[in-house]
Order: sequence, then C-alpha cells, then structure tokens
Amino acid sequence: MSEKTNKEDKKKAYRLALSVIVALILVPAVIALGVAVWDDRKFYIVSLIIIIMSMVPFALRFESRKLRARELVVLAAMIAIGVAARAAFYMTPQFKPAVAVAIITGIAFGCESGFIAGAMIAFVSNFIFGQGSWTPWQMEAMGILGFLGGILFHKRDGSLPKLLPLCVFGGLGTLIIYGLIVDTSTVITTQSVITWEKLTAAYVSGFGPNIVHAAATVIFLLILAKPLLGKLNRVRVKYGLLE
Amino acid sequence: MQKDSFYTVNPAVNICFFAAVMLITTFVLHPVIVGVSLAAACAYTLMLKGRKAFVYMLAFVVPVVLAVSVINPLFNHEGVTVLFYLWNGNAMTYEAVIYGCVSACMFAALIMWFFCLNCVMTSDKYVYLFGRIIPTLSLVFSMVLRFVPGIISRIREVSQARRSISPDFGKNPIKGIRHGLSTVSVTVTWALEKAVNVSDSMKSRGYGLGRRTSFSVFSFDKRDCALSAIMLVCFAACVAALASKTISFRFYPSIKQTFAGWAAYGGCAAFAVLCALPVLLNIKENIAWRILKSRI
Repeated sequence: MSEKTNKEDKKKAYRLALSVIVALILVPAVIALGVAVWDDRKFYIVSLIIIIMSMVPFALRFESRKLRARELVVLAAMIAIGVAARAAFYMTPQFKPAVAVAIITGIAFGCESGFIAGAMIAFVSNFIFGQGSWTPWQMEAMGILGFLGGILFHKRDGSLPKLLPLCVFGGLGTLIIYGLIVDTSTVITTQSVITWEKLTAAYVSGFGPNIVHAAATVIFLLILAKPLLGKLNRVRVKYGLLE
Repeated sequence: MQKDSFYTVNPAVNICFFAAVMLITTFVLHPVIVGVSLAAACAYTLMLKGRKAFVYMLAFVVPVVLAVSVINPLFNHEGVTVLFYLWNGNAMTYEAVIYGCVSACMFAALIMWFFCLNCVMTSDKYVYLFGRIIPTLSLVFSMVLRFVPGIISRIREVSQARRSISPDFGKNPIKGIRHGLSTVSVTVTWALEKAVNVSDSMKSRGYGLGRRTSFSVFSFDKRDCALSAIMLVCFAACVAALASKTISFRFYPSIKQTFAGWAAYGGCAAFAVLCALPVLLNIKENIAWRILKSRI
C-alpha cells in the first residue's frame, strides 16, 4: 500500500514538475524565441504554440488518471450531447448551447474533465462546422469555461448549484472569456502587425455576436442545468458512478 | 467527393503534408510563396470538389479577402509612400495596401487548405493517428463520433413515436415546444443509460486490463515512403532557402524584396512541388489508369 502511494506521489510530483516547466520555462522561451527569430508572424506562432502547450498538461493528466470505464463513457456521452446540441442549432449563428453543456459537464465531473469536455466538444463539432485556424482557440476557450465551471460549482456530493450565480458566470464567461479569446484569434490570424486599434475594432464588431452567444448560454443553462444535472445524479445513484 | 488518390495514402503522410504546407504558408509572407500556395490550394480544391463547389467557395473567400486587405491600410499607417490622406488625417500608404493584399491572400490560401484538410482528414484518420499517443482521449473521441449520429437518430425516433400517439401534434406551437423539450429529455436519459450499458460491456470484455489494440485499415506502403521522402526533401530545401535569407520581403518602412540566386529559385520550386504533391499524385494515377485501360 505504502509503495503504491509512494508511486502515486512520485507521479504527482512528476506532473507538477512538468506543469512548472511548461509554465515557467517553455512559455517564456517561446515568447523570447518569437521576439528574436520571427519578424512577421510572431504573434500567430507564439500564441498558437502557447495554446497547444496549455492543453498538453490536461491531456497528460487525463491519460494518466486511469478513469473507470463508466466515467469515461458517460463523459463521452455528455460530449456527444454537446456536439449534437451545437449541430441542432446550426441555423442560428452564435445561438448555441455547446458552452452551457461544457459548463454543466464541468460541474458534474470536476474541472479537469470539464476542460476535456469543452475542448472536445469544440474539436468534434468542427467536423460538422469545418475545421480551421480557429479550432485551437475555440477548443481553448470552451475548455477554460468547462474548467471554471468545475472549479466554481463542482460539489463532491453532487448537489445542484444555485441558478443565479451559475447564469451570471455562464453569461459573463461566454461574453468575456470566449469572446476575447476568439476575437483576438481573428486579429492574430488575419493581421501580422497587432495594434490596439485593430483589437478594439475586432472586439467592437464581435460584441453583438458575443452578446447573442452569452444570452444563449444563459438561456440554455436556465433550461438545461437542473434537468441535465438531475439526470446525471440519477445515473450516479442508480449505478454507483463517480465515487 | 470525387476519386482522390491523396485520400488513400497513409494518414501520417496526409497530416504531415498539411502541416508542412500550412506552416510555410502562414509564416512566410512573401508574395511568390503565398501565390504558389494559393494556386496549389485552388487546384486541389477544384480537383477534390469540382467546379461548382469551387465557385461557391470563392463566393465565401473573396469577400473575406477584400475585407482583410482593406482593414490593414485603414488601421496601419506605417510606410513611406503616401497614396492619399483619409478623412481623419491618417495616411493611406502604398506599403500598407500591399501588406494587406499579401496577408489577405495568405489567409485565403489558409482557408482553402483547411477546406482540403476537411475533405481529406476524416475522423477515422485522427483516431488512427492519436490512438497510440493519447489512447484514452482517442477512445473518448471515437466514442463521441459514434454517439452523435446515434443521438440524432434516436431524437428522430422518439419524436416520431410521440407524434403518432398525440393527435394535436403540430397545431399548437407552445405544445410543440413542450414536445420538443420532452423529446430531448427522453433522449438524454437514454444516452446516459446507454453509456452505462456500453461501459459494462467494455468492462466485461476486459477494458483496463492491458494495453488496448486498435484496428485500422491503413498501411505504410512503398508509395507512402516515396511521398514522405519527396515531402521531406522539398520541405528541407524550402526551409534552407528561407534560412539563407535569399527569399525575404520587407514591407515597412519601404518595400524591399529579395528573391535572387539559385537558392531562392530552388527553394521556391521545392515549395511548389510540395504544395502540388496531391495534384501531381492524382495526375500520375490518372495517367497510369489511362495506360492500363488502353492495354485492355
């Protein structure tokens, strides 16, 4: 037993070291390299590398966690529900329930699975909507929202969160976090010289769609949060899941 | 999709091709490089989807290109050659206009390449590629791919069943919304229960006991070797030419371009071959097929 916990501790320390290396050494190194070597497109390549690197710890952690089959498949089902929900609203641009589903998954499964669910919903649904240079940014943005949903509202006993703070978080999170990340990515992808004027122009022109997106998230959280979490709780009680 | 030979090569070759081409296209803002990439992307899109889809594509890409090329000179006033002054006193410079056009073409090429990538890299290829590196995530990914059509067809089934037992279906919009909501609710419950069923089935088949193996129909044959070798040589030649600074384009403050010497021409030719690889492969296979047919 002690040997096992020892091994676990070693693994944890290893992962922590990896995260520290990524955060403190690799990211600044990439930024420095970008400033020194790439003239034209440094914003694009640096931001892309940082975004991909920020997903690596989550992926590694998910791989090493040795989830039970049940948790894995129910998580996959939640991601599939998110993808199907986004696909069902293909006719209404920006008015999509995917972020709400990512946040709810984070609440039910915890922050790490929330990140994986958000990123995966963005990735898989882009097989329907089209992959593009925006895919990594969307994955990151939705992953962060799922992650924050888990951090703020995940309860071990599975009790439901209060709706008001949840909706405030969902609306503001979609408007600010998702909106900022995706609008910044538009500027970074299409322009090489980044100025505040360009960024402001992108944020201003993106404000309308972002408001619609945020409203959609709030509405879908209102409609979906209780029933979906209730259903997950039911499955948990019925089959002894996630304990 | 029409018959495409590049679709049938090993997924690793597919992804390396797209990564190499997009990398160079995105990071080398030189009109010649961008032009070559855009031309090859257009040719491959035409080959993949035919003329009609290509025209639709242009209807989407051309406005984006125009918008991007206009935005740069409006917001960027660097450069020494002033064309005219805007209403707010800012200068519209020749350099900024050229820069906008080149970066817009780069963006157009990127969109086209992503369009080709969407056609060629189907989801099964991602599962094959990532299955060894990140097995658990790939498993989740492949399960999601399986669940999504299942959920959609289940929604159809449930809604049909509900329609046939309720006589007033479709008459009252409020009742219609309630029907829709309970259809979704039923399907979600079903999906979660099904997930538990699937996991029980997985467990009884020994999931988690050892390393998972996965079936794939892809093999790495001689053609893949040859293609990888060509890609590697072309990519290396191109990067070497870029590193030697014989291909460069400076926009600000005044345009100064370098494109001279055998290194520049060689690098550019290598990049052209790299970009045109799928098109060339298709042409080669077409010729081979014609010759085979003529022998019958």
